[in-house]
Amino acid sequence: MIVTGKGGTGKTTVAATLALAAARAGLRVLVAEMGPDEQMPARIAPGSPDAGYAGRLLRPGLTSMQIDPFEALTEYLGLQIGTPGMVRRLLGTQAFRQLLNAAPGWRELITLGKLWHLEQMEAGDRALYDLIVVDAPATGHGVAFLSVPRVVVSAVRSGPLRRHSKAVEELLEDPDRTLLLPVALAEELPARETAELVERVRAEVGVPVDRVVVNAIAPQPFPSGLEDLDRRLAALEPEQDLGRLPRPRTLAACAAFLRARHELNRRYVEHIATSTSLPVVELPYLAEGAAGPRGLEALADALLAPPRETLA
Amino acid sequence: MSDARSTDAALLDAGVVVVVGCGGVGKTTVAAALGVEAARRGRRALVLTIDPARRLADALGVEALGNRPQAIPRAQLDQLGVREPGALSAVMLDMKRTFDDLVARFAESDAARERILGNPIYQHVSEALAGSVEYSAMEKVYELWERGEHELIVVDTPPAQHALDFLEAPQRLLEFLDSRLVQMLIHPAFAAGRVGFRLFQSGARWALHLMERVSGIGFLEDLSEFLLAFEGMSAGFRQRATRVRGLLLGPEASFVLVAGPGGESVRQASELRQRLLGYGVRLAGTVVNRVRTWPGAEAPPSLEGVEADLPRLAQALAERSGDAAHSADAARAALAVARGYAGLVLRDAQATEGLRVAMREQGRFFRAIPELPEDVHDLAGLARIADALFARKQEP
Repeated sequence: MIVTGKGGTGKTTVAATLALAAARAGLRVLVAEMGPDEQMPARIAPGSPDAGYAGRLLRPGLTSMQIDPFEALTEYLGLQIGTPGMVRRLLGTQAFRQLLNAAPGWRELITLGKLWHLEQMEAGDRALYDLIVVDAPATGHGVAFLSVPRVVVSAVRSGPLRRHSKAVEELLEDPDRTLLLPVALAEELPARETAELVERVRAEVGVPVDRVVVNAIAPQPFPSGLEDLDRRLAALEPEQDLGRLPRPRTLAACAAFLRARHELNRRYVEHIATSTSLPVVELPYLAEGAAGPRGLEALADALLAPPRETLA
Repeated sequence: MSDARSTDAALLDAGVVVVVGCGGVGKTTVAAALGVEAARRGRRALVLTIDPARRLADALGVEALGNRPQAIPRAQLDQLGVREPGALSAVMLDMKRTFDDLVARFAESDAARERILGNPIYQHVSEALAGSVEYSAMEKVYELWERGEHELIVVDTPPAQHALDFLEAPQRLLEFLDSRLVQMLIHPAFAAGRVGFRLFQSGARWALHLMERVSGIGFLEDLSEFLLAFEGMSAGFRQRATRVRGLLLGPEASFVLVAGPGGESVRQASELRQRLLGYGVRLAGTVVNRVRTWPGAEAPPSLEGVEADLPRLAQALAERSGDAAHSADAARAALAVARGYAGLVLRDAQATEGLRVAMREQGRFFRAIPELPEDVHDLAGLARIADALFARKQEP
């Protein structure tokens, strides 16, 4: 499961939530992140040291790892060339390092290659992990990230590089093995970008997408029976003195703001559903933030609920 | 406020303003608002976005932005209060076209140009692989700057992690062309000759051999052909890359960091600041975007122990609506709403203060933009953001 989305949409939070929910349901889960600063250990098991490339079990059934491209390349070359000493010497060669610094695409390719390798790993007679959750790069770069194997397959005529890229491409395009999970916010521009992302993924990458997660949806702000609370407050004399309570003008402004956010969110949830023709999984906005384990548990409950069919 | 005016001027008098920040904080909106403000101050401004998504075109109300700057029509500028000679244009980077233009400019001959443009590796490097966005962006900023049609270029950058690629891109490309591996791919005969004996001993020759084993021979042939064609233009490119770097690190350019008021933003912004300063760029200011504010006051009042006054609100509600039965509930709900919103305001204020402290050395220009109930998606919205950014009184 590859989680992607524009920066700031809560992509990492959703990836962590998903991993947690799956582990709670009894699956053996690996959550893989690619950024330079690890976030999963701190979010899922605060106080836990970084997982690094070797990975770390954060709680029963849930392992976290950070895929560093240099580590992955070292491992890959080790498998290809055989002798660890030679690989170290190659990576230590200044010329080779210069080449790596400038050459585009290899980081993406080797990272995806490592994911393929992890997917193939077995423990006894079954796969080592039932589910691998990938916290992928942000939207624009996410599409480029996923299209690298396809590009390599079309640019390289033969040899191990082509063969391995082909295997990765097949993994990415197999709906029984891979799903791309876009994460969006229910606001105008993120909603449009999500529609654009889904369209580009369908046209250029071929990675299966079957639903969209919309994160941080503002809840209905007023209790039932009082849905018109903002209008009732707005109808009062704006400057009436209410003692230590804020004046009606201020109360009405607070209510109007919360209603506007909620309605805006609802509007763009519908927009995302119609423009992508996909079911939408809705996650609520958590006032206390979702960065810690408590927030994740709350989101995990919401995530496990069946997707709401928002299609018109 | 002459001090504030001079910091504003210092920012908008730059030749290039680079807007950086983490994802989802509204960099594009801030970049566009800076362009609007500069135009209002009589400058000929251009906003460049390198975001693959088309936010800027959306916000500027332009159907689509091409690789050439597109002027915002005078009639729309009038509505924003932009007077001659002030002007505003926008451009979105088409990285493939920009890269092709670069090749066309520096290729030694028509034949060399065609060889590069037709090479399979070039086609993929230039259009599909991550990283070339940054190469192209650098090129485009410089090209537009050199052309001199615009007095100020505001550059919207990709999210933080990639902001550094943006600065490193030309240097990396040059190092790549200079690297001995590449030189060897370009001049295999040379490497095998007299001088080649020494090179054969070297790591580079050997590394090449290993690479061949992994990648297959055809790939290296294509790569070699591509690099050979590319090398002819490397002198021109090198000179240009040096100038581009000079522009971004020189007195003409200033950087503005945009952050959101979210929980992680202080840490992320501090990290980004460190990294940027490490490059030696001039960080001219900080903008905190989408800060929720309390209506009509600096800060929310304490709402502790105010329940005693709820009957007054309930009575007012009952008088107005005639719905006495629900008025007590409505009053309680109104208080809960106010408390909920006050909590959001306080959280944002805390994060803003944290950013102010973290950015104190860049504190001459530190602005918080209030959250608007609606998304900014047109020129009028951008004008409102510009007003907030430059502390101009809002028209009621």
